[in-house]
Amino acid sequence: MKARVTFKGGIHPPENKGLCGELSIKDFPPPETAVLPLQQSLGSASEPVVKKGDKVKKGTLIARSKGYISSNLHSSVSGEVIDIRKSPHPLLGEANAIIIKSDNRDEPERDYSAEEASADSLSSGEILELIQNAGIVGLGGATFPAHVKLNPPADKPIKTFIINGAECEPYLTSDHSLMLECADRILKGAALIKKMLKAEKCLIAIEENKKDAIALFRQKIIQLKNAEGLQVFPLKVKYPQGAEKQLIYTLTGKEVPSGGLPMDVSVLVHNIGTVFAVYEAVFLRKPLFERIVTVSGKGIKNPANWRVRIGTTFKMLVNHSGLADKKIKKLIMGGPMMGLAQYTDEVPVVKATSGILVLTSDEAADFEHLACIRCGKCVSVCPMGLMPAEISKMVEKGRIDTAKSIGLMDCMECGSCNYICPSGTNLLQYIKLGKYEYLRSKNVKR
Amino acid sequence: MLKDKHLTVTVSPHIKTSLTTERMMWIVSAALIPAAGAGIYFFGPHAALVIAVCVGASIITELFCAVLMKKPATIKDGSAFLTGLLLALCLPPEFPLWMCALGSFFSIAVSKFAFGGLGHNIFNPALAGRAFLMGAFAKEMTTWKTLQDFPDGITAATPLNLLKEQGYDSLMKVFDSHSHLFKELFIGRVGGSIGETSAALLIIGGLILIFARVTTWHIPVSYILTVIIVSYFTGGLFDIPFHLFTGGLMLGAFFMATDPVTSPITPKGQIIFGIGCGLFTMLIRIRGGYPEGVCYAILLMNSVTPLIERFSKTRIFGVKR
Amino acid sequence: MGQEETNNTGYFKELSKGFIRENPIFILCLGLCPTLAVSNLVENAFGMGIAFFFVLLCSNITISLVQKLIPDEVRIPCFIVIIAAFVTVASLLMQWLIPDVYARMSLYINLIVVNCIILGRAEAFASKNNVFRSALDAVGMGVGFTASLFIISAIREVTGFGTFLGFRLIPENIKPITIMILAPGAFFTIGFLMALFNLIRIKKGKVSK
Ligand code: SF4
Ligand code: SF4
Repeated sequence: MKARVTFKGGIHPPENKGLCGELSIKDFPPPETAVLPLQQSLGSASEPVVKKGDKVKKGTLIARSKGYISSNLHSSVSGEVIDIRKSPHPLLGEANAIIIKSDNRDEPERDYSAEEASADSLSSGEILELIQNAGIVGLGGATFPAHVKLNPPADKPIKTFIINGAECEPYLTSDHSLMLECADRILKGAALIKKMLKAEKCLIAIEENKKDAIALFRQKIIQLKNAEGLQVFPLKVKYPQGAEKQLIYTLTGKEVPSGGLPMDVSVLVHNIGTVFAVYEAVFLRKPLFERIVTVSGKGIKNPANWRVRIGTTFKMLVNHSGLADKKIKKLIMGGPMMGLAQYTDEVPVVKATSGILVLTSDEAADFEHLACIRCGKCVSVCPMGLMPAEISKMVEKGRIDTAKSIGLMDCMECGSCNYICPSGTNLLQYIKLGKYEYLRSKNVKR
Repeated sequence: MLKDKHLTVTVSPHIKTSLTTERMMWIVSAALIPAAGAGIYFFGPHAALVIAVCVGASIITELFCAVLMKKPATIKDGSAFLTGLLLALCLPPEFPLWMCALGSFFSIAVSKFAFGGLGHNIFNPALAGRAFLMGAFAKEMTTWKTLQDFPDGITAATPLNLLKEQGYDSLMKVFDSHSHLFKELFIGRVGGSIGETSAALLIIGGLILIFARVTTWHIPVSYILTVIIVSYFTGGLFDIPFHLFTGGLMLGAFFMATDPVTSPITPKGQIIFGIGCGLFTMLIRIRGGYPEGVCYAILLMNSVTPLIERFSKTRIFGVKR
Repeated sequence: MGQEETNNTGYFKELSKGFIRENPIFILCLGLCPTLAVSNLVENAFGMGIAFFFVLLCSNITISLVQKLIPDEVRIPCFIVIIAAFVTVASLLMQWLIPDVYARMSLYINLIVVNCIILGRAEAFASKNNVFRSALDAVGMGVGFTASLFIISAIREVTGFGTFLGFRLIPENIKPITIMILAPGAFFTIGFLMALFNLIRIKKGKVSK
């Protein structure tokens, strides 16, 4: 199978990536109080290993993974645990979190700046353990624990390892800036993972609107000594170019079967940020306690990319960046296409936070919810080849099983259909409701 | 401080295309203006009155129905305007005005609101209105204003009528040569409905629709291609431009068959729909009792749209056929 | 229709249910084929209505009289034979009394044999109730059917011909709407009247929306 020009469907929303100006990463000061929700990844929440009153340092393990799909959590500041209580959570509304009061010394658990020389000689098992200990999850937003994903069963060998640098969501530039600033380290991480998976190829997929990143990576790869199989793959600018299945299709021509995983077609995809975190975990022994966050939107006076400690509240970031003097409508975690609208700015940055957007009423659309005029636009843009209008109609009528039979569960919630719909119907809302109802009814039956 | 702001919480996505239904309807209406203008220019002020009455009656009916059904009035979305305009464009230029109003009333009240309003109608309202008028006032619907000097004894006034009722020879008697006929057809200086005659302006309007992404190429292209192929095999080379540029084909292919509500939503379904329209149009033109078949062909295909959709499901990514 | 048609409903209710509540055409949607065919002229509609009324009344009475004698397995053929007998009577009578109306609609008169309203009443009502109730039921249904036909045909004749029972109501120079006397016109009219009847029922709270 060969690489394709692009996948079917997709949309071209206004990018608005220029808001952040020149791309550099600034360090955000550590917060006074860090709010660290226990649920940071898919699967089960982690279990606290500290209690109220304990002293912790930056990088101290404060909660351990519980169960197979779960991840470790580390303190992002040095200070004292003052409480473990329910706090606002950007994805769940509210969830248990460890609250740490900073002592302003920012004392690390160990020195995270020196590169371990021994990294090259580690075995796969040891690398996986380091990754697991560092609490790394997929940083593109899916937050699947990295050590689970990087450890496919023996009967599913990985031939192609894809690094997702598409960053197709409008506004967001955190991956882009990371690529520009840390290309060397990302490549090191990439080589490490490729070696660990025994993959034949490692493709770095970058959308063509990031020409500088493409050029930089190409140049670095040429300079690299053992760069065989390492390759940069420019992608057409289109949303959702970074969606896993679409990315795999574009790069390899293979379709991940419905309901299947990328490893079913011998592919594994990781986000650029995750690869960088793996580098830090293995080479610097640094756990995941900070990440790059784009703070943008026309409601923000000085949009920028920040290196932010997990647990910093949105409020601090927004206030630091300044609110523009416009009519603010929405606060969103993530991009405008798939991000979650927040009801309060008290929510903390979690590992899944790739961006914080403050949208004005000009940007954030009003959906009129008119009747579907059956224009078929949603059908032609759906990258999964679904008929969103039909599915949502079925869900609306309560016919979840029919909706399931025409692909309800194949929807990846990219929102393209909803974006393009001229009638402003709430397609995605119904689809999400349908998925929820379907899963619930399945659980009840079981 | 964000705290004092009123934050809206909805599901994603949070942004939306600017091409709304409302805008689409007005773009279609705008794309029809040149053809309507040509109709008024060729056929005189009564054509303008027909257009005005149809549009006005449609809008009034829409208001009336909305109030009756206790739905928010949806004049702003332009669909009533568009229906009225389309209906007017496929009526004869000398059509009595009260009949225009009745046709518009039928279009909106019966073929749109009785089915549940915008988005729920089975048949294209404008065409349903035309079909109603055809059934109700057959004579007025086939009384055309003549633009050419006809030799004695020739009464039918549209080229298609001429061909159907008097044969090829009298057609040639009126238009002298093929090239002259095609030129007149292309420009629109022939007898016919108000907006149907000027193929050139309709094509321009249709291209505007496709480039503005209001409609896709699937239906017009498959429709027109089918007509080309069928007319070549049934008649020959001369028939191709003749069938393309006469009657309501261009209006039908670009503006009527592409009505989103009454055509399939899948691209494959749209192609089947276009082919069906083409076949029925040619069948009626060649074998049927009426000289023109566009209206009935599209209405027929409207009625099988749900069936087509059932057989033209899209392929879900990652699912083998 | 015949949910619980037991003997304890009042006689007047039995009679009046055919007018609106269980109107055969607009609510039960039965007998639509003769309705479509003969409702373009008021005169035809009346002819049809009377013949229908006659057959329905006679067959309902007869069937309720002989209900005990008919074995269950062959009841439909029996009903049809009975109905056919009365249809023949009706058609011969019409041929004698109103030959020109009959000439226009003899086919539809004969088709009353398989008319679903009559067969339906026989099956659902007359074969389970006593003679008096069956007669009331027949009168109610017959009046309901005839009245409905009258309404439909009045609308169609006035709009489609511009006349009413042959008298010109609308001046010649206003064109009548020809389509109203063709089959589509019947569908439009019936559809709208059906909606109207449903509206009345909803307003009265008999059925939920
Ligand atoms: S149906 Fe799902 S996958 Fe398809 S466009 Fe809509 S949100 Fe995306
Ligand atoms: S895009 Fe919207 S209006 Fe068009 S078919 Fe889909 S749901 Fe209907």
